[in-house]
Amino acid sequence: MSDTTRPLPLRVATATDDADRAVLARIANGELQALDELYERYKTMAYSIAYRITNDASLAEDVVQDAFLGAWRNAGRYIQGRGSVKTWLLSIVHHRAIDAVRRRRPTTPLPEREDVPPAALMLPDVWSEVAADLDAEAVRGALAVLSDVQREAIELAYFGGLTQQEIAARTDTPLGTVKSRMRLGLLAMRRVLLLEGGDTGAMDAQEVQAP
Amino acid sequence: MTDPRPPVDLTCDEVRELAAPFVLGALDGDEAAAVRTHLASCDDAHVELSELAEVLPVLAASVPVAEPSVALKSRIMAAAAADLASRSDSSATPAPTAFPTADERGARSARSRAAAGSWAVRIAAVIAIAILGGWNLLLQAQLRDEQAYDQQVAAVLAVAGQPGSLTVVMAPGAATARGLAAIDPHGRMTLAMRDLPPPTGGSVYEAWAVAPGAAPVPLGELAVAGNGAAFMQGSGVPPSPGLVVALTREPHSGATTPTLPIISSGTATASG
Repeated sequence: MSDTTRPLPLRVATATDDADRAVLARIANGELQALDELYERYKTMAYSIAYRITNDASLAEDVVQDAFLGAWRNAGRYIQGRGSVKTWLLSIVHHRAIDAVRRRRPTTPLPEREDVPPAALMLPDVWSEVAADLDAEAVRGALAVLSDVQREAIELAYFGGLTQQEIAARTDTPLGTVKSRMRLGLLAMRRVLLLEGGDTGAMDAQEVQAP
Repeated sequence: MTDPRPPVDLTCDEVRELAAPFVLGALDGDEAAAVRTHLASCDDAHVELSELAEVLPVLAASVPVAEPSVALKSRIMAAAAADLASRSDSSATPAPTAFPTADERGARSARSRAAAGSWAVRIAAVIAIAILGGWNLLLQAQLRDEQAYDQQVAAVLAVAGQPGSLTVVMAPGAATARGLAAIDPHGRMTLAMRDLPPPTGGSVYEAWAVAPGAAPVPLGELAVAGNGAAFMQGSGVPPSPGLVVALTREPHSGATTPTLPIISSGTATASG
């Protein structure tokens, strides 16, 4: 299908994006006050995700601390113009939170400890996300498109920190099926987002997102 | 799981097959490393990865909202301040680059060895506490129990160690609170306090700079953690010896004149 290869339309840069980039540039320059500002802006987002994944307030705070320090140390590696700082930060938080739950449940070989987010999440096109600023209704709409088994596979991975092998074992499903549930589920969500992206929803989302 | 698997060279098709579990974080360490290794050298842009990853913010946006404790910010800021101080101690920090290269990947282990240097800062901090005075052995022992406060003090002492900076030992006033501040030559102050009673009824702790013969200047509020520790940074502090740093409890945020009594205060002296 053609719309699986067409990139999502680039989001119009919002004032928030520009402000975030300016803050990140100051962080790269070693300005503590800028880190303070970034933290105030995104602490709730970061902590909510970390808490959802770890289900442990103290571990979630460790994850958030780790993530903001990662951002503090690696702000210079953020690629200017390639997407929102928010999504970059989100990928760091998610990565650290998954690490943390796997450490707590040490049956999975741990990834090498890194200060830098995974290379693939720094690939240029990752940043063309209309999804970042969607409102609650759009989020529900995109999630509603998943079948039960797709949702299960995606949630066990993204929020549960399980590997594909662990998901296959837990759901008693062949590994290949687990992989295609993840893939087809993500692609289905993407198609919904592409449709949403065509209307004025993105404009409304910008207002909702402004702090 | 005890035998480390040898590095695997993946084909483009294998990477495509692993794309969904990769972006969802569902590969184990070896598999994820193999995908990253492939991506670092592959001519194909592997847009399928970014297409799938574009959906992730929706998953993130679906979680229930939760708020971190107030103390977390102090911990993060203190750790960043300590990191900044250790950076200026070491010339080995690599210049930031847009993309991690294979060389940098190799340098990563070297960098984690360099991170051990931050421990040197913290040890130096404990030693410096003894030299600066106003701190007893009991207090040093308690520091071990409170990592956050430890880092906060390390951050203050890192500033105090800079040439031309001033140190302020914050002695107890109306409360048993005590602490330590340092002011760098650019007028930036870093302050760590402990034993502050929790503020009540919307009141806040505010730090003030009082230059001889001048009106008190508000420096900012302190966020107090559950254990009574607090940390703040302010700028625009005149870096002159004899300056008094004072802490008051204000009924509301944004006070322009201090409300007595003084909770804790100290006089800036050259760190020398």
